Parts: sequence; structure tokens; C-alpha cells
Amino acid sequence: MLVNQFLLLGAFLFCTGVYGVLARRNAVMVLMSIELMLNAVNINLLTFGYLHNAVSGQVFALFIIAVAAAEVAVGLAIILLIYRNRASINVDELDLMRG
Amino acid sequence: MSLATLLAFERPPIDWHAIAPELTLLVVGSLITLADLIWTERIRPLMPTLAGAGLLATLIPILTLAVDGTDRVMFGGAYVIDDLSLVLKALFLIAGYLVVLLSVDYIRNGDYHENEYYSLLLSSLLGMVLLASSRDLITMFMALELLSIPAYMLAGWRKGGATSNEASIKYYLMGVFASAIMLYGMSLLFGMAGSTAFDDIRVALAGPDPSGMAILGVLFVLIGFSFKVSAVPFHTWAPDTYEGAPTPVTAFLAVASKAAGFVALLQLVYVAFPTREDVVEPFFWIMAALTMTVGNLLALRQTNIVRMLAYSGVAQGGFMLAPFAVVGDAPEQSIKAVVTYLIIYVFMNLGAFAVVLAVAARTNSGEISSYSGLFHRSPGLAVAMTVFLAGLAGIPPVSGWFAKFLIWNALLDASSPQGSLLAVVVAVNAVIAFGYYGRIMREMWMSDAPEVTEPHFTVSRALKAAIVLTIIATLAFGIYPQWAARFGDISTSLAL
Amino acid sequence: MSELVRSYLVVALFGVAAVGMVAVMLGLARFLRPTRPTRQKLIAYESGVDPSGSEWVQSQVRYYVFAVLFVVFDVEAVFIFPWAIQLEDYGLFGLVEMGIFIAILALGLGYAWRKGVLRWA
Repeated sequence: MLVNQFLLLGAFLFCTGVYGVLARRNAVMVLMSIELMLNAVNINLLTFGYLHNAVSGQVFALFIIAVAAAEVAVGLAIILLIYRNRASINVDELDLMRG
Repeated sequence: MSLATLLAFERPPIDWHAIAPELTLLVVGSLITLADLIWTERIRPLMPTLAGAGLLATLIPILTLAVDGTDRVMFGGAYVIDDLSLVLKALFLIAGYLVVLLSVDYIRNGDYHENEYYSLLLSSLLGMVLLASSRDLITMFMALELLSIPAYMLAGWRKGGATSNEASIKYYLMGVFASAIMLYGMSLLFGMAGSTAFDDIRVALAGPDPSGMAILGVLFVLIGFSFKVSAVPFHTWAPDTYEGAPTPVTAFLAVASKAAGFVALLQLVYVAFPTREDVVEPFFWIMAALTMTVGNLLALRQTNIVRMLAYSGVAQGGFMLAPFAVVGDAPEQSIKAVVTYLIIYVFMNLGAFAVVLAVAARTNSGEISSYSGLFHRSPGLAVAMTVFLAGLAGIPPVSGWFAKFLIWNALLDASSPQGSLLAVVVAVNAVIAFGYYGRIMREMWMSDAPEVTEPHFTVSRALKAAIVLTIIATLAFGIYPQWAARFGDISTSLAL
Repeated sequence: MSELVRSYLVVALFGVAAVGMVAVMLGLARFLRPTRPTRQKLIAYESGVDPSGSEWVQSQVRYYVFAVLFVVFDVEAVFIFPWAIQLEDYGLFGLVEMGIFIAILALGLGYAWRKGVLRWA
């Protein structure tokens, strides 16, 4: 199988995600970038699982999918709350507290 | 090998006694939600009692397990109950109970969702209790998320408040970002070992020279948990989140959640990465030195007490990170120092937050200036706060000095130049810390009370109980340090 | 040329053929047909009705709760599928375990129902 290619794809997705988290200002886009990072991890886990013939890689990936769904649900709820209170989800404008 | 043979199933033997604490906590948490479903608003006044009783009930199986004393290994080594994990579980539960005491009045008076608050608090504690036993990447990840996700929601509990929203989103984004980085590291470790068990990872990491993949995997996982313990430079969320979140939740995050991060680091460093101390030690050396110094310097210029406690908490985290920098040379002293420090830190910091809550309930202010002349207004609270601050600063006979003493002991015992150098950094920082802890003490004892004084400070029963409990523990561990040290000695079993 | 790249040659050829075919057909049509654009012809097709409002539509935020509930139960299926494949081996033990798992999730659904989230008002 093309182990290296999958790992490279994972690394590329991960870096794209990190870039998105650092560069994007819209909270939803940041959230999507984090999802990208998590999916990069899933690709890695499946590839390594195949490489070592270990089921635990797939099991780990399943758990990550489930937890990511829970995380996104909570994250969107928080973003929705912020939108209701201040009609903006730009993370740069969240600067009420300083020091 | 086909999938069917890989999945050949045999019912795992389950040691019900060993997982009784987790099951109790799960059942109590579910019952709270169920009670909320059936009686909704009518059950509200009972909620703190239910949650507190549930936490105390969970301590019972932990005690019976401790009396029994045998180490139990379950689920193919993924879950280990030994003396250390029992001590840590008990610590989390006691910290949780104290947080419930701190929350009772705050949450009741604020028109918050009481029922949900306590069930989320319990599920977060369940995550911590699971974390203390996890010896496997998947178990550790699940435990970490179980403790984090409810904490994100708790931080934003004041739904209408813009600062609380902000606290929540910052904590959430940083937390999720950190866990994504940690997961990438975990996937690399899994790739090296072909297994998620810490024991296999330790074997796979061993060898004279680490591969790039090993270094990256170890560092990413450690960075993920550095966010959790708010180590510099990954601390940026902490002050804002602490200031914006409801104060009892801040106490929970600053104490219990941080302690959980350290517990995870202990397990990783001592069980999974002991063969890679050449990667771990420099990482922690830099983090510890940075965290202490930056935390202390920023704490000096704060005017809000919660924010000051947040930065002081960052600095305290730096002290706790210091022994990790010498795990290779002095493994036993290091783990003993960290565990003892954690136990002492939990009580004195929760105590300080209890006083902050009691004062804020009266003055509605978190500014340090509102503490001026506190002694004249409420001698009891002033004395209590002085004890906790003295503990955090490390003045004998209050317990903090012993914790710092153990850290120096570990650093000097390593008898390496970098260990001694870090000991000097710790000493300098301990002196800087006097600056801001002393400022509050001076405010309380020397300054005159403001013109408009509230004649009577009424402290609620729950807060009083929390303050008394933490003060007893703080003083007892200071005067009889061997009590705290006993728990620390237990922990050395991990350092083999 | 390595074996790996060679194995992708077929894919590349398919790609070229697909793009070529579409290009030829569209190009031929463009060459043959008369072009007389009018304003009416350029309006977006909306089932034969005159389009109203801008094409940037935001959906009701109330859908959000249902989306979240869907995600929770959708993801739960991720665990149920592998379990279902092996159910015969797991026997009663597996059934009870999954029962507990679903009961805890049902508690969440019950919570949403009791708090009136499921009512569309």
C-alpha cells in the first residue's frame, strides 16, 4: 500500500489545519481547521494501523470521530451564544479582558 | 491475518471492585440528570447535596480499594489501579467536593442552570478519575476529553455575560487545538509502537538515538498537555478564562483541571517516555523556567485578584514542572515532589478562591483594592486569606514551604549543572512571588478600610465549611509535612 | 518510470479522455448554436418561479439544535455498526453493554425533549 503517500497527506492536512487555526479570524473557520487536523490524525492512525496490522488504530480513529462530533456540538453552541450577544464571531474582537 | 480472527471475542474479565469508583460517579451523574428530567425545577435546591453526597460516596470504594492494597490491571493493561492512582482519585474527588461547596451559593443566587451545572461538574470529575488510571493512549484521550468538554461549557456558564462567553470560547479553541496537536503526536507514537499501550510505546521508544518521528511524537503529546497545565508559552488562555468564568468554575479549572494535566504528564513521562529522557528533560527545563518567570512577572502587575491568582497559578505550575526536568537523574525525588506539591496546592489554592468568593459576595468586586482593611471588616477572612497566601508564597509553617523544599531537593539531588541552575531559577522566582502575595497581605492588614464599610460580613455555611476544611489541611500539611510526604512516597512506585 | 507512476498512467489517460470529450462536445455546440442572450435568460432557474431575494440564504438557527442531535446519534452509529457485526460472538454480555451505552445516550435525548428543545415554536 502507499503508506508514505498517506502519511504525507496526513502531514499536509495537519499543516493546513494549523495554518487555518492561526490565520483565520472567523470562529467557525477556526473550528473547521481544527477538524482538518483531527482528520489528518485519523488518516495517520488508519495508515499505521494497516502498517502494523493492528485494529487499535481503527478503534482510536472511531473514538476520535465520536469525540470530535461532541466537541463541535459544544463549540458551535458557544459560538452561537457569542453571536447572539454581540452579533459577530470574529475571534479578534474578543478582547474584553487585557493584561 | 483476517479481521475475524483479530476480533475473536472473549468476554474481558471485569474487576467490579476496581472500577466501582468510576461506576458510582457515573451512576450519580446519570441520576442527577434523570432527577432533572423528572422533577425539573423542584429538585433544584437538592442538587448540591446530591452532587456532594455522590462525591463522598465515591470515596468509599476508593477507601476499600486502598485497604485491600493489591494493584489491579484491567483491559489488557489499559487501566491500572495502584496506590498512586487511588491517592490521585481521592484528591480529585475531595477537590470536587470543595468546588461543590464553593459553588452552592454562587450558582443558586445567579439564576444559573443548577441541575446541569452539577451533572457537568461530575462528568468532568469522572474524566479526571479515569485519567488517573489510564495507561493507554485511547483511554487517556477519552478521559482527557471527558474532563475537558464539560469544562468548556462550565467556563461559559454565565450565558448572558460577554466576558463569560469570551472565557469559554478562548478556553475551547485553545483546548481543542491542543488536543488536536496531542492527537497527532499520539498517532506518531502509535505508528512507532504499533500499539496504544504505554508499555509497548516505552519499548518502541527505547534505543540510543531517537528517530525524528519519536522526538516529534513525544514533543507533540507533551505540548498538548502543556496547554492543559497552562505552561508558558501555552498559557495565553488561562488569565482570560479564569477572569471571565464564574469564580467557582475558575477554582475548578485552576486546581482540579490543572492537577489532572499534571497527573497525565506524570503517567506519560514515567510510564510511556522514561526511555526518552533526553527529549523530555530539556523540554521541561525550558518550560519550567519560562512558566515560573513569566507567570510571576505578569502576576506582579495585576490589579484584579482572580487574574492575579490565575498568573500565580501559572507560576505555581512552573514550580511543579521543574522536577520533570530532572526525571532521568532523580526519578523518585521528582515524582514525590510533584505529587506532594499537587496535594498541597489543591488545598491552599481552593482556600484562596473560597475567600475571594466570600469577599466578592459582599463587595461585588474582584479588585485587589477591595481587600484594603479587610482585617478590620472581617478578621476571620483576613486571617484565612493570609494563611493561604503564605502557603502559596511558601512561608513556614504553612504547607507551601514543604512543597517547594521537595522541589529543591529533587533538583539538587540530580547533582547535574542544569538541575542546580533550575534550582536557582526556582529560588529567584519564590522571592518574586513574595512581591504580589505580600501586596495583598499588606492591603488586608495595613491599609485602612474604605469609607463606606459593610459592618458585617456574612459568609454562607458552605463557604465557611470550605474555608475551614482547606485551612485545616493547609496548616496540617505545613506542621506535619510527613503526612503529605507519605502520599508522595506512595507515588515513587511509578518510578522504576 | 517507476511502477507507482506507471500505475497512475491509466488514471491520467482517463482524465485526458474525459476532459477532451467534454471540450469537444461543448465546443461543437457553441460553434453550431446561435447566441442571443437576454436578461430573462440569465436569471437563475428556480423551479419555473421568479426568483425572490438574494441567492445568499441563511437557514434558521433553530435547525442547529436538530443538527446537533442528529450528529450525536449519527456518531453513535459508528459504535453500533462494528458491534452489530460481532453481536453473535458477544452474546448477552454485548447486548447489556450496548443497552447501557444507548441508555446513557437516551438520557441525553430525554433531556432535550424535556427541556422543550424538540418543540418547533
